[in-house]
Amino acid sequence: MILSPLLLLGPIAAAPAAPVQGDLFVIKAPRVELGDGEVMEHAVILVEDGEIVTMGQDLPVERGIPVIELEEGQVVMPGLVNPYSRVGMSGGGYNDSRPQVMASAELYPSAAYKAFFENGVTTVGQYPAGQGIPGQAVAVRPKGDSAEEMIVEDGVYLKVVMRNNSSAKRNLRDGFEKADDHLKKVEKEREKFDKAQAKAKGDKKKSSSKSKSKETFVPPPADPRVQPFFDLREGKLRALVSIRNAASYEHLIDAIGDEEFEWHLRVPLTRDIDVFHVADKVGERGCFVLMEPLITLVPGTLRQRNLPAEFERAGAKLVLLPRTDSKAGFESFLEDVGVMIGAGLDRKAAVRAITHNPATFMGLGDRLGSLSEGKRANLLIFSGDPFQPDTKLDAVMLDGKFVSGDMDQ
Amino acid sequence: MLHSLAALIVPALASPVTALDTVVLHVGKVLTMNEADAIHSPGMIVLEDGKITYAGPIEAREGGPAPVVALDTWAVPGFVDLHTHIHSGGFGDINDTVHAVNPELRAAPSYRPGNGVIEVGRAGGVTTLFGIPGSGSNMGGFGLVYKSRSTGGFQASVVRDPGGLKVAQDSNPQRRNSTDVGVTRAGMEWNLRDVADRALGAYRQGRRDPALENLSRVVSGDLPVLIHTAGSEGVVNTARMWKVKYGAVAVISHGSFDGWKVAPALAAIDIPVNHGPRTIDYYSSREGRIVGTAAEFVDAGVPLFSLNTDSGVIAEEYFFLQGSMSARYGADAYQMLRAITIHPALSFNLAHRVGSLEVGKDADVVLWDGDPLDPRSSVRSVFIDGDLEYDRDRDGQLF
Amino acid sequence: MHLRPNQQRRTSRPTWLLMAASLFLAPTALANVSIDDEPAEEAEAEEDKEEVLALVGGEIHTGLGGVLRDATILVRDGKIGAFGYDVDVPEDAEVVDVSGMRVYPGLIAVGSFGLFGSSGNLDDSVDPYNQNMTLALAAGITTAVDGNSVAKLKRGHVDGLVVSSSAFETMSYSNGNPQGQLKVEGDLKGAADYIRAYRAWEQEKKSNKEAKEPSKKGVDQKSLRILRGEVRPRFNADDRTDLLEIAQLAQRYGFRPIINGCREGWTVADELGRAGATAIVTPRTRRPKDESLLREGGSSIENAATLYSHGVNVVVVPASRGISLGGIVGQDLLHLPIEAGFAIRGGLPQLAGLRSITIEAARVLGVDYRIGSIEVGKDADLIVTDGDLLHYQTFVQWAIVDGEIVYDKQAEMFFAHIRPRPETALAPAERMDSGEEAPADAPADAPEEEPAEDAGEEPVIEESGGEEPEANEDPEDPEDPEESEDPEESEESENTEQTAGA
Repeated sequence: MILSPLLLLGPIAAAPAAPVQGDLFVIKAPRVELGDGEVMEHAVILVEDGEIVTMGQDLPVERGIPVIELEEGQVVMPGLVNPYSRVGMSGGGYNDSRPQVMASAELYPSAAYKAFFENGVTTVGQYPAGQGIPGQAVAVRPKGDSAEEMIVEDGVYLKVVMRNNSSAKRNLRDGFEKADDHLKKVEKEREKFDKAQAKAKGDKKKSSSKSKSKETFVPPPADPRVQPFFDLREGKLRALVSIRNAASYEHLIDAIGDEEFEWHLRVPLTRDIDVFHVADKVGERGCFVLMEPLITLVPGTLRQRNLPAEFERAGAKLVLLPRTDSKAGFESFLEDVGVMIGAGLDRKAAVRAITHNPATFMGLGDRLGSLSEGKRANLLIFSGDPFQPDTKLDAVMLDGKFVSGDMDQ
Repeated sequence: MLHSLAALIVPALASPVTALDTVVLHVGKVLTMNEADAIHSPGMIVLEDGKITYAGPIEAREGGPAPVVALDTWAVPGFVDLHTHIHSGGFGDINDTVHAVNPELRAAPSYRPGNGVIEVGRAGGVTTLFGIPGSGSNMGGFGLVYKSRSTGGFQASVVRDPGGLKVAQDSNPQRRNSTDVGVTRAGMEWNLRDVADRALGAYRQGRRDPALENLSRVVSGDLPVLIHTAGSEGVVNTARMWKVKYGAVAVISHGSFDGWKVAPALAAIDIPVNHGPRTIDYYSSREGRIVGTAAEFVDAGVPLFSLNTDSGVIAEEYFFLQGSMSARYGADAYQMLRAITIHPALSFNLAHRVGSLEVGKDADVVLWDGDPLDPRSSVRSVFIDGDLEYDRDRDGQLF
Repeated sequence: MHLRPNQQRRTSRPTWLLMAASLFLAPTALANVSIDDEPAEEAEAEEDKEEVLALVGGEIHTGLGGVLRDATILVRDGKIGAFGYDVDVPEDAEVVDVSGMRVYPGLIAVGSFGLFGSSGNLDDSVDPYNQNMTLALAAGITTAVDGNSVAKLKRGHVDGLVVSSSAFETMSYSNGNPQGQLKVEGDLKGAADYIRAYRAWEQEKKSNKEAKEPSKKGVDQKSLRILRGEVRPRFNADDRTDLLEIAQLAQRYGFRPIINGCREGWTVADELGRAGATAIVTPRTRRPKDESLLREGGSSIENAATLYSHGVNVVVVPASRGISLGGIVGQDLLHLPIEAGFAIRGGLPQLAGLRSITIEAARVLGVDYRIGSIEVGKDADLIVTDGDLLHYQTFVQWAIVDGEIVYDKQAEMFFAHIRPRPETALAPAERMDSGEEAPADAPADAPEEEPAEDAGEEPVIEESGGEEPEANEDPEDPEDPEESEDPEESEESENTEQTAGA
């Protein structure tokens, strides 16, 4: 690239004025949180058609490309990823096993979604309501004119609720049993087909049939309620299991038995939760764990514990969610995460927990959740350290367009 | 070895009211509970005219009765329980709750000497009890110090009447259902202060106000006061009011829940604590530890630490178990024995008569077949004022 | 769980000492002592799969009368593999030094409440981390009856805990219900008739092939199992007359009853002994005699001892079958050994006192083939105590279920500060908070016992939004203490029955 003078944009106040922002532009940021915990100083990000084309430190910029130059002190971070929310969706669910239900069916682009991007959330995982096995979640961008426009990817995980009781365990066991039953049925059909084929062959020899069509065996399709279990086994679907206490974890392991499939944990933190008993086991698995930034107590006492930090240190891949699934929760989220960092949570892990990890959990880690070449241009511009309470969220960019802040078009 | 102590002694008791006979006991261990913590193994005790005339190593005696040989027993002072409600036999008759303060009332009229409940307590080694009104009002009245005798009736059993004042202050009895003052701690404190000041005034002016006569004795330091109070909030204020402001001979009773947390403050005020019936704290402190509260009070340096049963909350005969459990959860076992014998006596102006096996004191001697704090041990015999009031072989094992 | 790894082999004791010591052992104990003489290679091959735990240098009380001092127990794959003086401890065994301590069989509570944190089917709903289970283990209890299931307190596990799903087969036979008595007698008679007819038919069959098998129709199955000795019926009875009638019924039909309560058993102990009864008693039960009756009655501290001396087996349970931390101590499941102590107060021999909470309890539940005593081949359910189990100051240091250490006094918050074990000088209150770096040599499970950074500070607590409203919540922990009012109020209630301490 030819070194050329910058196109100056005029005096830069708290928020740079945005001239014509087309599909190609550059952002120059003094400090960028990449999402994996690393930081890049003096970063230059080239965005085209909503995607980060090039990114590097102190890169030269081609003449003619509009540059958004950020102020000293401002910090860029990937757009937050909230993989577990029902804001924008309403209605209750059931209490049985309906793994075929897709949350995307409920999706509707209402004004409620503003709550997300106004608070820096650029990708959301939305799950179906209900207990038991309520169904599969959809990953959406919180802006669009239609449901289709919003969908980033469907079927990102199957939600399973596990409790220490028979019915919850049965949901899981029955699901796989039904899959086995279906396989047996398919076997039987195949035998029938083979027999029929053999018989037909025999018949053909006797009679002079002209038909030479060779049929292939078409296995009967699985019941849509059973198919997700096949998908789990084949690695096409992952599960997110919600547990409330350490006992549920043990019963989950018991219910899974010898089955092998990808599963992660959702642990809603309450004041007296005792999941720390299984932190080591969970850490050994190295799965994703979704929890709130909340200090809890050892049950029956006033002794505090920082469970997100404990699980992270034990080896789990931490994902943090707002304390309440609501606008108010989103507004205080980063500050709450800041409190956990102050209480011992590793800062890099915290950054990962709200960007890269949730994206990877939903299988979208190659597309978003961090800032590097080839990723979507979903990013946030803060007036300072994102976790400090007095920091402001100056702007939110979604797919290369400003959707919030002073840079709104 | 002796099979039945009673066989040797009962014939000698002609009239139970006056214990005139001399008894010489040879036992395996004498726990005197005196200031020097003397223990004699084996040991000898001589009971004469209802008093102890000797407690020490075995020595030969000229003349006198043949010694009762019970070398498989321990001789321990009869226990002293400062917080009991079984003087009426366990059928109510404990609380008068119309008025917030009742300085005129006494527990004595409710007393049924030798009732069944007391008898079992005696079989558990308890010989001196402070029977008090309940905590239905701020000042219940004056309790009765009595012995767990079955023989001799009221006169023989009473040690001191009125024995001391009973006050309940803090957490209960907040008189929630009343339209009277006393729903809040401030109100309770006022009720008590009001009447105590009046009594003090009467005393200082030399006025004899019959209604406040006994109370005057309390605020002038003559009669002791037992204050039922619990929880860290109230215990220190209570102690300061009665010990510092009024200068009474005061004992904090209960000090339960998280009261142990302010034990250092109580130690600084130098007020004895009579603790129980709860002897552990888990919920109040919320530390996750099971705190043995007796150990906390003792370690903080509270003077003359003692235990109680608040009987019938805990049946009287389990008084020893309060000591055992306190020892289990961290306190020193020997100190817990002192906590049910000499310490309560000393803290309530009773030590001139009971609480230890020392020359000149009442012959309240209990023979145990082992460590009295061990639930596996049981009481062989109970002497009260030199009379054999309970004997396991004679009366059957009541406990 | 924290252990003191001690890789030293204890093979120094010469066998002659074993032979001398064997003179002092009860015959059954001698039969169970096995000396591990396997050659090294053989042992090594097995150890690849086996998990071996060794408790070394303790005083082993088998529960059947045998006491081995300074001995070793070897646990293999959850079972007692060997115990004695000259036991070869494999190189890679997990070794726990229990010198100065005693090893007993794990205690058995024939009635319990709230230990498993579950409702209904234990296998699917047990909460193996619930606090009551930990506390019960702290009391030495390794097996308990919950509902009608006999289950182990297998902390951290949800499988393999149920030993038997029918703890008791109950039967009701009381003066207060003469109709019921008639029915029971009828059922038993019917079953007895059937058995007689069946035996006759078996004889007849030999000569007459046409003989018809007697019909089972109308025969009460439970009574049949009882008369065949497959199960022992359990009665709830306290009253002397009821006890007498049960004893006589049992003798008439030839079965051995289990009697729960048995308060006035001491008045008819001889009949109960003749009936081969087992009594489940609470030594501290207190009920005065019915004064309107002339005969003896009411409770007696000597109940257990009297029953025992007439040949009745005695099992002890405390008055309260739950765990109580409200402040008044000594009456609940946490103090099961203390309750047995009270039976001894009344004259029960010491060994019978130990047995009343171990092997006799196992027998009455029909699970003594697996638990209740230290014998080779039985489950490794053991407790290590710092003194005589029945002494009031003794604490359980370790509790082992199926060969796994599931409780360590020093690793839990509850009692670690009370007379801590010497090697852990710091009580947990002084240990690390989860936010700090753990020191290199900290026990693996130190994070369990963090104190608050500053116990007095207000915690930053916010409820996480009600995400998943659920129909059935876990039952609330009984956290809140009773109102201070009640006990301190000390208003004597009219109840004539006081169990120890109201």
